[in-house]
Amino acid sequence: MIAFEQVNKFYGDFHVLKDINLTIQDGEVVVVIGPSGSGKSTLLRCINGLETTSDGVLKVKNIQVNEKKTDINKLRRNIGMVFQHFNLYPHKTVLENITLAPINVLKQSAEEAKKTAMYYLEKVGIPDKASSFPSQLSGGQQQRVAIARGLAMKPEIMLFDEPTSALDPEMVGEVLDVMKALAKEGMTMVVVTHEMGFAKEVGDRIVFMDQGRILEEEMPVEFFENPKEERAKVFLSRILNH
Amino acid sequence: MDFSGAFTSDNLLFLLEGFYVTLKVAFISIVFSFIIGGLVGTLRFAKIPLLSKVLAVIVELVRNLPLLLIILFTYFALPELGINLSITVSAIVALTIFESAMLAEIVRGGLNSIPKGQMEAARSSGLSYVQALRLIILPQALRRMVPNLVSQFISLLKDTSLAVVIALPELLHNAKIIQAQHPSYVIPIFLIISLMYFVVNYALSLVAKRLELKHA
Repeated sequence: MIAFEQVNKFYGDFHVLKDINLTIQDGEVVVVIGPSGSGKSTLLRCINGLETTSDGVLKVKNIQVNEKKTDINKLRRNIGMVFQHFNLYPHKTVLENITLAPINVLKQSAEEAKKTAMYYLEKVGIPDKASSFPSQLSGGQQQRVAIARGLAMKPEIMLFDEPTSALDPEMVGEVLDVMKALAKEGMTMVVVTHEMGFAKEVGDRIVFMDQGRILEEEMPVEFFENPKEERAKVFLSRILNH
Repeated sequence: MDFSGAFTSDNLLFLLEGFYVTLKVAFISIVFSFIIGGLVGTLRFAKIPLLSKVLAVIVELVRNLPLLLIILFTYFALPELGINLSITVSAIVALTIFESAMLAEIVRGGLNSIPKGQMEAARSSGLSYVQALRLIILPQALRRMVPNLVSQFISLLKDTSLAVVIALPELLHNAKIIQAQHPSYVIPIFLIISLMYFVVNYALSLVAKRLELKHA
């Protein structure tokens, strides 16, 4: 479904991604962890073309992402994205946030889009907020709307870029619960997070990154109990024992 | 001093005629410069190779010239290049050129003030760049721009008085004609036209304040 082959990325002289090789299967939940500045978010943002790659090949559903003749807008319909800071549209209601892309990109009727939107709002547990504006919601609610917004396009892949990092601790659980339910339904998910509990419980695979390189790719049980790389051991001991 | 003769209906009518020209020239210039300035500001924001750079140079050039010079240029210099414009059209062209550059910067600033995440979220959902601009970025940016836009419109309305140098029959010009005929009326005449400028501009600024509160 997603395949990185020898992908490199530079910001000027700064080598952000180094020789990335990674294949993600249909229905797999891959959790990307690592210290900040390790390139996790950049890796994720390459998948839907928010970042360009400098060399190597990155294919999503067998379509090369970073190529001129690829219709990136069409590819993105199939890839939902959830951001750390939600990025809801503040001038639109919750319902309008969710129906905007289905109406304007998929050309759904307003009625059909609304039906889909309400279905996903039910699913994330806040159908009563449909006519609220984002600023009237808590962070956890906003992030759940953002997830519903992504799902309303009925994508095959969902990308999560530190979806709980900007939330009050109390609200992390409600967002993770939605993500867990999604994983159980077989959604292909790539999740950048610092939530080790989530990674352990839901991840099919852990990808550990440091300084732009993938250092370890492992099943969660194996990774958390027996990290092989020294850097991963240090990272885990810092993040788990405090 | 006897001012009573200053307030004859003939004088007042003559001033109102001038004020009508002021408002007409200002309104037409506002409409054109809003369209051109909006377009130029958006194109500069979009960072289109070459075009955005060229526009940047033009905008900076115009913004750093005195408006008075531009007015004199359109009326006295353009005919040398074979372009003959009437006084009114010269004034409108000059004001439009200058205000478009000012508005372009306001629009570009407004667009830049919208967090990058908005564009990223919109593009991630499959919207094209133009759709994202139209549906997500511009509506938010316009709301933020309202106070600056209105204060620029007020400046423009006041700046129409500079066209007195090419004898546009606007408010200040007509006031000066009365004053030339009756030098002793200078104070009352200037008070009347000050009141006219003030009423319209202050009303505009009140509208701006209300819009600001509504969007806050």
